[in-house]
Amino acid sequence: MLRPYDRKPYGIQLLMTGYILQRLVSLFFVLLIVSAIVFVLMNLVPGGPFTLGERGYSEVELANLNRKYGLDVPVPQRYVNFLIGAVQLDFGNSFSVAGRPPVTELIARVWPTTLHLGLYTIIVSFGLGIPMGVVAAYYRNSWIDNFVTFTATLGLTVPNFIIATWLLLVFGFQNGWGAESKWIIPPLFGQGPALLSWDYFLPVLTYALAPLGLVARYTRASVSDALSADYVRTARSKGLSERFIMVRHVMRNALIPMVTVLLPQVPNLLTGSLFIEVVYGVPGLGKFFITSIFNRDYPMIMGLVLLIAAFWGLTYLVTDILYTLIDPRVRVFGRRNA
Amino acid sequence: MAGPEIIAEADYLNHPVSLRAQYKQRSLWGDAMRRFSRNRLAMFGLGVLLLLLFLAVFADFITPYPYDQADFSVVNLLPFRDPAHILGADGVGRDYLTRLIYGARTSMLVGLSVPLFAFAIGVPLGAISGFRGGRVDFVVQRIVDIMTAVPPLLFALFLLSLTGSGVGNVIFVLSVTAWIEPTRLTRAQFLTFREKEFVASARAMGASDFRIALQHILPNALTPLLVSFTFAVPAAIFAEAGLSFLGLGITEPTASWGKMVGGGVGNYIRVYYHLALFPTLLVALTMLGFSFVGDGLQEALDPSRSQ
Amino acid sequence: MFRRRTTLFFVFCILALTLVPLTVSFVGAQDDNVDVYGRPLPEDAAPYEMQTWQNLCNSARTETTLASAVSVYQRICDQNAFDKFGDSLVQLDENLNLTPAAAESWESSEDGLTWTFHLRAGQMWNDGTPLTANDYVATYRYMAEPDHAYDFVWMWNGIIAGWDEAVAGEISTDEIGVAAPDDLTFTVTTAVPFPPLPGTMYFWPPLQAAALEEFGPDYMLDPETSVSSGPFQLVEFVPGDHILLEANPDYTGYRQPYLRQISGIYGDQLNASFLAFQNGDIDAVNYSLLSPADLDIIEADPIMSENYLPNFSDFRTDYLLFDTFNPPFDNVDVRLAFAKALDREAIVANVIGSNLALPAYSFLMPGFPAADTEGELHDIQGYDCDAAKELLAGAGYADGEGFPAVELALRGETESIANRFIASAASISECLNVEITVNNMEYNAYMDALRARPTTIQFGAVSYGMDFLDPANMLGVWVSTGRHSWRNAEFDDLVNEANSLVGDPEARLQMYRDAERILVEDVGGVFLNHRIQGDLIQPYVAGECFRPDAQGVSAIHWGNDWCWGTYYITEEVLNHDTYRTE
Repeated sequence: MLRPYDRKPYGIQLLMTGYILQRLVSLFFVLLIVSAIVFVLMNLVPGGPFTLGERGYSEVELANLNRKYGLDVPVPQRYVNFLIGAVQLDFGNSFSVAGRPPVTELIARVWPTTLHLGLYTIIVSFGLGIPMGVVAAYYRNSWIDNFVTFTATLGLTVPNFIIATWLLLVFGFQNGWGAESKWIIPPLFGQGPALLSWDYFLPVLTYALAPLGLVARYTRASVSDALSADYVRTARSKGLSERFIMVRHVMRNALIPMVTVLLPQVPNLLTGSLFIEVVYGVPGLGKFFITSIFNRDYPMIMGLVLLIAAFWGLTYLVTDILYTLIDPRVRVFGRRNA
Repeated sequence: MAGPEIIAEADYLNHPVSLRAQYKQRSLWGDAMRRFSRNRLAMFGLGVLLLLLFLAVFADFITPYPYDQADFSVVNLLPFRDPAHILGADGVGRDYLTRLIYGARTSMLVGLSVPLFAFAIGVPLGAISGFRGGRVDFVVQRIVDIMTAVPPLLFALFLLSLTGSGVGNVIFVLSVTAWIEPTRLTRAQFLTFREKEFVASARAMGASDFRIALQHILPNALTPLLVSFTFAVPAAIFAEAGLSFLGLGITEPTASWGKMVGGGVGNYIRVYYHLALFPTLLVALTMLGFSFVGDGLQEALDPSRSQ
Repeated sequence: MFRRRTTLFFVFCILALTLVPLTVSFVGAQDDNVDVYGRPLPEDAAPYEMQTWQNLCNSARTETTLASAVSVYQRICDQNAFDKFGDSLVQLDENLNLTPAAAESWESSEDGLTWTFHLRAGQMWNDGTPLTANDYVATYRYMAEPDHAYDFVWMWNGIIAGWDEAVAGEISTDEIGVAAPDDLTFTVTTAVPFPPLPGTMYFWPPLQAAALEEFGPDYMLDPETSVSSGPFQLVEFVPGDHILLEANPDYTGYRQPYLRQISGIYGDQLNASFLAFQNGDIDAVNYSLLSPADLDIIEADPIMSENYLPNFSDFRTDYLLFDTFNPPFDNVDVRLAFAKALDREAIVANVIGSNLALPAYSFLMPGFPAADTEGELHDIQGYDCDAAKELLAGAGYADGEGFPAVELALRGETESIANRFIASAASISECLNVEITVNNMEYNAYMDALRARPTTIQFGAVSYGMDFLDPANMLGVWVSTGRHSWRNAEFDDLVNEANSLVGDPEARLQMYRDAERILVEDVGGVFLNHRIQGDLIQPYVAGECFRPDAQGVSAIHWGNDWCWGTYYITEEVLNHDTYRTE
């Protein structure tokens, strides 16, 4: 609990910058090792980016093919070349898309769809989940509470591809993703996916159920904890208004555990769910991921993995910083943390 | 909080009991059991669990047909039409009820093995890491960091492509991604507890590290570990179902709910709805059951938590 | 006075008689539906603006090109958009006879080693330059280019002179056996006599030598640099999103299209094609994209069932293969036992559907040259469970005892195809009491494992369809240098000899028949079914191509480039809600 005499120690700014630097360096090394692991695994997996035709190839022909895809270079050398390019944010050209566009360009083309879905999912799950949790905590053990808990559990436990299957049973499979006839709000700047489209309803609904459940439960727990705290009783007995108590004391204290648990959901949602995209046929990052693996599009796979890993790493860092800012008693740096 | 105990004491005052009962030890587990049994949802979940275990173990005896027996004349038979195949048949003519029951076996097998392996690796690793600290801790923490950075599904896909499909390989691959959580949890527990006074006093009495870890810290750490295990089981079932749904993992003719769902989506949904509907219901039921048990267990073992 | 009036009257009559028809025809001509070539569309055709064809492309595949000369396995939008930018030298008519296309005639030399193709005069690229034999020469040279690493390079291995050496980089591609003595003559020199050579030419429309030189093979992906000597030209292409072709007004070849436009939209082709079809978003669906559930719906629908047109397409056969170099399948009795334990008829009737397949007892499908149309080979691998059990017992595995558990590997098959192989495994294991698990591997992983020497696929399932209409192609996949772990010297000799036998087509076919008999008896593979393929088309799509051929099936099949000149949309489309009216 926050008490008035908790203050941030002097010189925290310096510590903060040092901490951020330390974390960034650590992230860099993690990415390095991750890229090495994925690179090795990727090249160990049988099959390659070219289709082994029905009639096969002779030694010479295979050599030609390998040379064409840069696979005649030994793996360590290839990895080094990749690293040199990666530092300049050049991940090479995709093997599987016509015209061999650069990987970064393709990701930029495909990610917006997933981002749209992810953003809507975040809005729905947090926008509904937090009020639900707060209300449930406030009216604890009433029918509202039971309803919220039940919905939350349902959304959280049932796998999203199962829910997607049920929704498809009810609504039928939708085709023609991105068709202009389904647009509600056209794309921003005239390019890319529509800002809002009928296409998004089922995927967002399905995708949002699990985070909604998580958010609702944790909000309920945090708020409920905060509500039953001594100082709230004190504040009430002092005659402060409910609203003042809720906003000033309860929410602020409830925010702390919520941030640690819920903020990591954000990168998860923004990079999309493979299952959702496969079941609904969404041409997004997740589906691209899977097709890249099946097509053995090596540059694409490396680019995607590094991008996503970096994204997550940075988000964890932001979470930790936010955590520190919200709760001044916590020092995630300068002392070993659990 | 203070609720149930007060009532019990009041009861005691009104209904005096024998001296022996008066001094009966109220153990943690006894308390937990009682609280658990009063939680209706948790009992429901437990019932589901036991039913599944029963199905999994006795599948050979209760199913009307062997799971790989194909009767080509009933391909894609819809349910409730033929009493010989009450839940219909799949695309190769195998009885669906049989396949669903055997699917329970696959799910339970994977669902129980993966957390077992994960905890068998993770708990000792986390214990050493948290208790000893130093270099071991540093290395373990780095490995955990790296494993968290790799998208788990991608890793699983790669590993499965390397190892090939099959139940054993799926268990192996899922265990590789699953050991992180128990490691982290155990480490956190050991980090917290090693600062406590009772550890210091045990050490002062000359107890070895191993003895301290096993006899003093572990029992206290057990509660969250147990709860985590209970949640790890449905997570493993989900992962297996997901992988099979994507077409990897379990090979034919082994039945897997995930694979059955995967084979029933797309065009089949509108006509042969039973192919997707029944396995999804079972997966949902299983996950819910485990969830309720996990929640109930959490509440029973640590009622001060308000969730 | 009278005379003048009569003269005037007569003059007036004559004028009227000449002018009225002219006026009428002029006014009438305004109502005529004409295409971009000025030809009137058929009577029942919809207005020219509605003469479009749209299909659903697969967004999950690797796609790099619009021409088979650049890549066969990575074609953009399957069969719908590619190879529309030029004419091959030859093509097949509805009865699978070779007919002229860009070449109006061809002949071979006395020794059968040189083939001369005479191009039709007057063919132009739509940038104004003439189509010459040099373009074809450049195309074939490009296919042999080592840096190109062409994925169909095996096609002329050992056939075109100097091909193998050029591919290996030993000689320049300028020295391979293709030449253009003059602008309208294209010659091919072969290393050995190869009678089916003209048929192999059908696959490859030409690339423009100049554009290839300047921009490389990707010239055809960008409307700015793309040139066409064929019926269509590229208007728009956004990879992964859509592609748009329109009729090439400068085309003077044999298949001027009625269609104004061909378009492709990208999506979940495997799961959403039938739905897109029912919504009127696309005009045709291939059988491979229809699940049994969809086929049930089609069968029950009076209109759709009439518009599902079966055809033999590439004469594809599904079969099981073995690693015959290692136990337990090194014993021909074991293989034969497996063959005879397979109840093809029941599987075809129930699991696949009789309208989608014929039970197969040999490799070549009836309708293909040298196929077993009399059924002489049926009994060799025909279903006989008792005989199968006896054979297995004779091999030392009485009642399946001691027989190792085997894994049947599938090549990344879709659900409906996988089911027939799972059913096969079930049929065999039930009859012989052996344990068979089924593993649906990824396509590339499977082929990798199959071609590994030694192979890691002990027991697998696969299909094969023809590349050109000759047994040299189909049976060629079974020779010892092929992908199968099966070797039979007699078979090899027969096939190799027949491949270059000139002058006696009947003897040649008989040699292929004998070879197939050896294949069946020595059980190189267990043959499950021949596929009856098909397309579901919208009721308002019409064309000469759809009328039945000599076999009673529709004329759409491999090599039917001329069909694209015949498709048109009928007025019926006005009664339907399609993408045209959105």
